[in-house]
Amino acid sequence: MGVISAIGNTVPENRAALKTGTCGMHPLKHLSSNFADKMPFGEVNISTEDLKKKLNAHEKGVTRTSLLALHALQEALKNSALTSVEIQSKDTALIGASTVGGMCLTDEMYKDANLHSGGSEYLSSYDFASVSLYLQHRYKINGIVNTINTACSSSANSVMYGARLIKHGLAKRAIVGGADSLAKFTINGFNSLQILSSDICKPFDEARKGLNLGEGAAFLVLEKEEDCAGKTIYAELIGYCNSNDAFHPSSLSEQGDGPFLSMLGALNQARLHPQAIGFINAHGTGTENNDAVESTAMLRLFNNEIPDFASTKSNTGHTLGASGAIEAVYSILNLQHQEVYGGLNFTNPISTTGLIPVQIYKQKEIHHVLSNSFGFGGNCSSLIFSKV
Amino acid sequence: MLYIHQISCVSPQQTFLDADLNIFHESVENKLKVIEPTYEGIPANNLRRMGKAVRISVGAALPILKKNTPLNGIIIGTANGGMEDCIKFMNQIIQYNEGLLTPGNFVQSTPNGIAAQLGLSQHNTGYNITHVHRGLSFENAAIDAMMLLEEFPKNAYLLGAADEISTYNYNVDFLGGWYKKETVSNKNLYEVDSPASIAGEGAVMFLVNAEKTKAIAQIKAIHTIHSEDVNFVMQELKLFLEKHLKNDAPEILITGENGDNRFLKYYKAAEKSMDNKTGILRYKHMSGEYPTASSQAVWLACNILQTQTFPEHAVKRKSANPPVKTILIYNNYKGVQHSFMLVSHPE
Repeated sequence: MGVISAIGNTVPENRAALKTGTCGMHPLKHLSSNFADKMPFGEVNISTEDLKKKLNAHEKGVTRTSLLALHALQEALKNSALTSVEIQSKDTALIGASTVGGMCLTDEMYKDANLHSGGSEYLSSYDFASVSLYLQHRYKINGIVNTINTACSSSANSVMYGARLIKHGLAKRAIVGGADSLAKFTINGFNSLQILSSDICKPFDEARKGLNLGEGAAFLVLEKEEDCAGKTIYAELIGYCNSNDAFHPSSLSEQGDGPFLSMLGALNQARLHPQAIGFINAHGTGTENNDAVESTAMLRLFNNEIPDFASTKSNTGHTLGASGAIEAVYSILNLQHQEVYGGLNFTNPISTTGLIPVQIYKQKEIHHVLSNSFGFGGNCSSLIFSKV
Repeated sequence: MLYIHQISCVSPQQTFLDADLNIFHESVENKLKVIEPTYEGIPANNLRRMGKAVRISVGAALPILKKNTPLNGIIIGTANGGMEDCIKFMNQIIQYNEGLLTPGNFVQSTPNGIAAQLGLSQHNTGYNITHVHRGLSFENAAIDAMMLLEEFPKNAYLLGAADEISTYNYNVDFLGGWYKKETVSNKNLYEVDSPASIAGEGAVMFLVNAEKTKAIAQIKAIHTIHSEDVNFVMQELKLFLEKHLKNDAPEILITGENGDNRFLKYYKAAEKSMDNKTGILRYKHMSGEYPTASSQAVWLACNILQTQTFPEHAVKRKSANPPVKTILIYNNYKGVQHSFMLVSHPE
């Protein structure tokens, strides 16, 4: 596993910050925007230039999104101890996800797209695929390479897709994850929808006012059980499901059909009773709509016996296309260390649902963790990881 | 086993509903824009809110959705989704200096909007995904559908691909040297010896399931490659054909030749590696070049398998062995992303 976010540049740094309840949200330091000091952001605390130096990534047209992805991928590959022969093998797949891609360069893209320039070095870096293509080229990955964009559930789907490629024999191992960086494009987009909070977000709180945007990346290396002899196994992916809420382009239905079906589908695939879930890493963005709907869907599925749950969005901000993979890493840390991280800034439960998230770090026996990711377009995905 | 039961194509040519490829529509200023359908039954208000990529996708899907076949999910490939909305929103950000903006363009600009809109219109709560891997977006979507049909052999899915010509992607790709500087008609696309191609767009939809009976075609195999090494690509082609066709040769090879003289070497090598009897067809003079153009090649392959005819203007080398049962499609996007797709008669 590899991860980079506002609360740390590596898996151990992220875990340490989660344990101490660290909030990574601050005014923007590295991206220039009118909103820089008007609201908090989960910005990764390294400048793009320093990332380039650190990663020795001086190729033309490399974007911050690709650099964050490379940072997390490097950690994941080192951690997995895959050899370069294995990485370059025809049966190694790379499945990425991004909703911003190179659009983090909003100003450069504006100039290029409106022919205000003779063409910048980023002409082939704006699209979503540019991130996976950069990683593919840098590591000479020869198996199936793909990029998924289902908005905020993108990288949960890349985890699913990689697992399915292995199941169908289309890959022996899959490197799966996602990356997104902060961009004027998304800041202004979410602001125009009036779902950004000027304070630090309060997932599942009655007085929540919206989400905070964040950035980051995470990658995980998936292999079949029989290929793992002698290797460290962090967790098993035993259930996953993608379903659609089919209600509205940018909000979820009151009864939460999409979230309910994705959680139910993942449980069915894992052949688990709802009570077997020890912890839910909730999507919990802190918006009026998401947290109420996710609560309703949890109440429907768990029949009012809700397992421990919390959202890490109050630590990292909402990292959009990266969040599914980042939170997959956090879910695996829950299992590996038998601990749960408390959600920050919670005071009062939502009056209609009354659900209270875990608020402080605690150790507990957990066998299965459910991780939710829901996005625009009704795209809902849930993953279940198990202790090995 | 992926079988195609219905096809629908909104393209720059006469492909929608009553397909007639002998009618030939010419490009205007290096652009081949789609002939938009009439969108029967969709309220004008809804249409106005949709960006072009979403609109033509909905239009292409209508004939399939109209038959009320139960669908278990929607799988879309699109490199960019609604790019026109994307640039409109970006222009707002710059022009109003990050002021008070309206969210319409932002919501429309997300590429998962196509699959989302289709899911919403059908109230389809099943699998819903958008593959955005540039020139292999459609191929990855089709691989996804193939896996789903093995996992759930009783299911049916809407598999499709769409991309639009927008001011944005035309300008960016023009600056990148992907569209020709001189004006070239699609009539002479293959005769001009210069780099770059002409722009295209389209929306293609397929109803797919695992049922062989009454199918139009089967997508037997798909292989994708990221490489610029022509020898490696040809070696992979050889392995692909050995694995999936044994000693048989396809009756037709459809190539993605696009008038860009930098990539002719890949197509020439592929043609050379074919049996002498294999006919060679081209399609980019009909579709133009765009990231999910290969979906139009699959539509063309289905059309040929159905009608056993193809337009004269598409022929590079005549096939010497009718009837056409197996068609190989070789496409490459920007010289880096290659795909082989084997489309065959279901019998």
